[in-house]
Amino acid sequence: MNSLPWITILIVLPLLASAVLWLVPGLHRVARPYGLVVSLVTLGLAVAMATGFDTGTAGYQLTETHAWIPALGVSYAVGLNGLGLVMVLLAVGLVPVVLAADWHAADDPAEREDEDAAYVARRRATFVALVLALTSLMVAVFAARDLFLFYVVFEVMLLPVYFLIGMFGGPQRRAAAVKFLLYSLAGGLVMLAGVVVTYLHGPRGDQGFLLDSLAGAVTDPVTQRWLFAAFFIAFAVKAPMWPVHTWLPDATAQGTPGTSTLLVGVLDKVGTFGMLALCLPLFPDAARWAAPGIVVLAIVSLLYGALVAMGQQDLMRFVAFTSVSHFGFIVLGIFVGSQVAMTGAMFYMVAHGLSIAGLFLLAGYLERRGGSRRIDAYGGMQRLTPVLAGLFLVAGLASIALPGLSGFIGEYLVLLGSFQSSIPAAVVATLGVVLAALYFLLVYQRVFTGEPRASLREARDAGTLRDLTARERWTMVPVVVAMVVLGVLPGPVLDLLTPISQVLAMGGVQ
Amino acid sequence: MTTFVAPVIDWAALSAILVIAGTGIVGVLVAAFVPASSRRTVQVVLALVAPLAALAVVAWRWSVVVGGGESTLVAGQLAEDGPALAAQAIILIFAVVGFAVMASRLPNGEEAFAPQGAAAPGSAYEEAARRAGLEQTEVFPLALLSLAGMLVFPMANDLLVMFVALEVLSLPLYVLSAMARRRRVLSHEAALKYFLLGAFSSALFLFGVALLFGFSGSISLPDLGTAAATTVGMDGMAVVGFVLVLTGLLFKVGAVPFHAWVPDVYQGAPTPVTGFMAAATKTAAFAAILRLLYVAAPGFGWDVEPVLWAVAIASMLLGTVAAIVQTDIKRTLAYSSVAHAGFALVAIVSLSEQGPSALLFYLLAYGLATVGAFAVVTLVRERDADGNVTGEATHLSQWAGLGRRHPVLAATMTLFLLSFAGIPLTAGFVGKFVAFVAAADGGAWPLVVIAVIASAAAAFFYVRIIVLMYFSRPEESERPGADAVEPGALTRASLVLCALGTLVLGVWPTPVLDLLAQAAKFVV
Amino acid sequence: MTNPYVPILVLMGAAALLALGGIGASAVIGPKVYSRAKLEAYECGIQPTPHAIGHGRFNIKYYLVAMTFIVFDIEVVFLYPWAVAFSDLAVFGVVAMLGFLALITVPYLYEWRRGALNWD
Repeated sequence: MNSLPWITILIVLPLLASAVLWLVPGLHRVARPYGLVVSLVTLGLAVAMATGFDTGTAGYQLTETHAWIPALGVSYAVGLNGLGLVMVLLAVGLVPVVLAADWHAADDPAEREDEDAAYVARRRATFVALVLALTSLMVAVFAARDLFLFYVVFEVMLLPVYFLIGMFGGPQRRAAAVKFLLYSLAGGLVMLAGVVVTYLHGPRGDQGFLLDSLAGAVTDPVTQRWLFAAFFIAFAVKAPMWPVHTWLPDATAQGTPGTSTLLVGVLDKVGTFGMLALCLPLFPDAARWAAPGIVVLAIVSLLYGALVAMGQQDLMRFVAFTSVSHFGFIVLGIFVGSQVAMTGAMFYMVAHGLSIAGLFLLAGYLERRGGSRRIDAYGGMQRLTPVLAGLFLVAGLASIALPGLSGFIGEYLVLLGSFQSSIPAAVVATLGVVLAALYFLLVYQRVFTGEPRASLREARDAGTLRDLTARERWTMVPVVVAMVVLGVLPGPVLDLLTPISQVLAMGGVQ
Repeated sequence: MTTFVAPVIDWAALSAILVIAGTGIVGVLVAAFVPASSRRTVQVVLALVAPLAALAVVAWRWSVVVGGGESTLVAGQLAEDGPALAAQAIILIFAVVGFAVMASRLPNGEEAFAPQGAAAPGSAYEEAARRAGLEQTEVFPLALLSLAGMLVFPMANDLLVMFVALEVLSLPLYVLSAMARRRRVLSHEAALKYFLLGAFSSALFLFGVALLFGFSGSISLPDLGTAAATTVGMDGMAVVGFVLVLTGLLFKVGAVPFHAWVPDVYQGAPTPVTGFMAAATKTAAFAAILRLLYVAAPGFGWDVEPVLWAVAIASMLLGTVAAIVQTDIKRTLAYSSVAHAGFALVAIVSLSEQGPSALLFYLLAYGLATVGAFAVVTLVRERDADGNVTGEATHLSQWAGLGRRHPVLAATMTLFLLSFAGIPLTAGFVGKFVAFVAAADGGAWPLVVIAVIASAAAAFFYVRIIVLMYFSRPEESERPGADAVEPGALTRASLVLCALGTLVLGVWPTPVLDLLAQAAKFVV
Repeated sequence: MTNPYVPILVLMGAAALLALGGIGASAVIGPKVYSRAKLEAYECGIQPTPHAIGHGRFNIKYYLVAMTFIVFDIEVVFLYPWAVAFSDLAVFGVVAMLGFLALITVPYLYEWRRGALNWD
């Protein structure tokens, strides 16, 4: 069974489906069910692939290596280690949820009246096609074992997101999309310079870009530091860390809830994934040298994100800033220099993907009902929409690491590891945990508790404001189930991640 | 008195040039003898068949020459080797797609060129010529003759031959620039500027040739290279001469500080001519620069390198910054072409071994996107009150919402813009990548860093056009919105070829890279 | 052995002498009768200073004559040294010159067919 090229299938299937959908106008009318089916099939295949995965080893599995551009030393080389597998599962798992949640995202109310049915169908098909194309790129980026391939996917991935924000987002979407693209492109191009120089230090030849052949290739400490910086900047923009995070609140505030989910839940993880999969193995000495500085940056992100989140009036921006804080946590875990913390950080990446999906999607549902995403436009919503309120509470508690939910394990391990290696960092990070509880509960209180506003109550009585529909509930079921399962039974995932952190934390090579 | 020895002429090696030049001359005779009714058809067929035939000839020569058969021809004045043939092939590809766009007409039968070149803009005579349906079919022989000059350029192994090629390729272009059907005054201005500055740069080139002759006693490039190593005490003369010759060539390339003509000429010239000129002239001139640098320069390479660095940096930065503030699509693309001249130079500044093949690949990627992008510009038109198609809608704001109404055309344009911006999976990315590798390998990594920063800034204005096409509604512009017309069969074919090329070279560049890698050796 | 540049110096001197001598001699010996036409700047036999825009266009025939002149002028420029070195150049020279003459005939044919030689 493992003789099948699983990863290639996972990459090609959604991409092909996306191209077919875009090119065949007859399919436009059934674009949304079509997308859902394709994404579910992809998920099924990914799960089938995961059953054959051998836990307990840090090496790449399911590897495929083919020459792509031998003249440049580029190969199509894919494979997954434990972390990659977990991230791929997270990505392909979120796609059907997002497609179902954003069922009406492509029906721009401002444009509906003057447009014909074919145009609306084409818009929907474009949305689905972009999400499917993004799926295949997400799989590819986590599976790339070739530096060039990784870079290519890393950059190309910007385009679907750019169009998703720019075409389907809110009123300020154009500026947000451009800001997102330019930030990421600038970071990516800095990395390109690093990619070129790294390659030139490597063994070259037909497979000169394979990560295996590049690890340990750069020996000069100064060069290593420069290259580390080039890569790290790109990943820090992506992650996003303070002070290069400013594109994130804009992008998420303007994108559709589903786009934001994929963006923050999966794509931004490419930043921390890149730190783990590229920065550490390729430039171990420089990583060790830079670690103290990065830990400081991570702590600044952590506190800054939490504090700014508290001051937000816009729900989407609020969620975005909590993510800045959480990414600070993840980066702290990666660089604080403890194996336990690194395992925790990797676990946190998955957990955060789930909680962020819950928060963004539910905030989106709330906005669809209340017509606003301003926090002070609401109040007492738990009486009007009890299911929505309950789910929001669960997602939020998972996000702030309530024991028994997914966020807890990651955060606990990061703190534990930090205490082992740097007490000051751990103390400040703990402060971040307290702040997290504060900002989330404050927001929950203002939106969901108290007396409902008169206008909202009237809307409920008039029947225009209802609790979550069946479709919306079903989108939340897998998310909540996953949160609980990961919170109660983290063992299998930790088994996948621990070998990797064992290798990386020693400054070793995968 | 020396006795004259007749040079041995290897006609086979010259056959590609002869095919193109011969067809150009036949084109002149066609303009003279074929009746007006069928004249245009004959010209178009000739102009499309000749580059294809020449391409076949180049392919044949490639199989004969590359890998051991390299030689100099006609008493050492021309060189037939890998880089020359590769450049010729690339130029001919641009000619095929470029001429196809030139030969296209709008659905209402309008072509891109003035009905009567000699008529004063706006005069009654012009109006009469337009009504009579006159066509200036001389554009095709002119383009072919220019192409002949471009084909000689990469082979020129001798400064005087290079100069003659420079003039042969330039003079027809000056005329073609003046031939736009609409905005004719702008077109005339473009031609005049191009001519005056072109003549000026030719003079500089000649002056440089004179100095180099004084320095080495020879005008042949290989002799120059050896003279540089053996002659002592005249370095100043050599360096000044070399820089002047280089100036003449950099002018054709449109690199800063010799770029002043680029925006005006690209804007004023008929758009199909702009596309062809931007792609093919740049390739030809870069091929000449390649031979100059790799054959003649090594002897005093350390003197030339700083100049190249300065030009490359200035081109990338100024081209990018100036492009950001443009409001006209043709001027934006013109400044972007200045920036691309800088990026292309990055490939060869350090004279590394991969330099030539990297540069040629870059030019191929850039040229395909350029011809394609200008072909799209020819299709985006304004309409008058009666709904008749009028001139090109070149103001950027008029492109708002194009993606809504013409998804396929906008997607094609987007592909070209992404290739310019160097986004992976387009040819432009692979081009930039090989260029950067070549530069960094030669130790010029600070230049790579600057190039990378410039790329990021350049992405801004390409992205801006994409934003306009997809994310804006046409109502947001105060100017009349643009409407795309149906492309003619030839333009359509050209667009398909350019788009396919851009995509294939981005996803699967291996065959082309392998071919170009064989072509890296210069014959001395 | 003389310096090879001496003949060039002599030539330059002779040229200067001829030019200055001609002007000087006519200034000294020539009769001085002025007319309007004589006082105007000379511009190849056409109005030297065109007036308003639109009226100031040169007649196209001006360029046609100039170009036709160049066609034959270039021909002569090349024919003369070719004739001098004819015996050395041998068959190669004949073929090359025939090719050149054939090429130079092409623009002439073009002019003729497109009516450039009809004066009215």
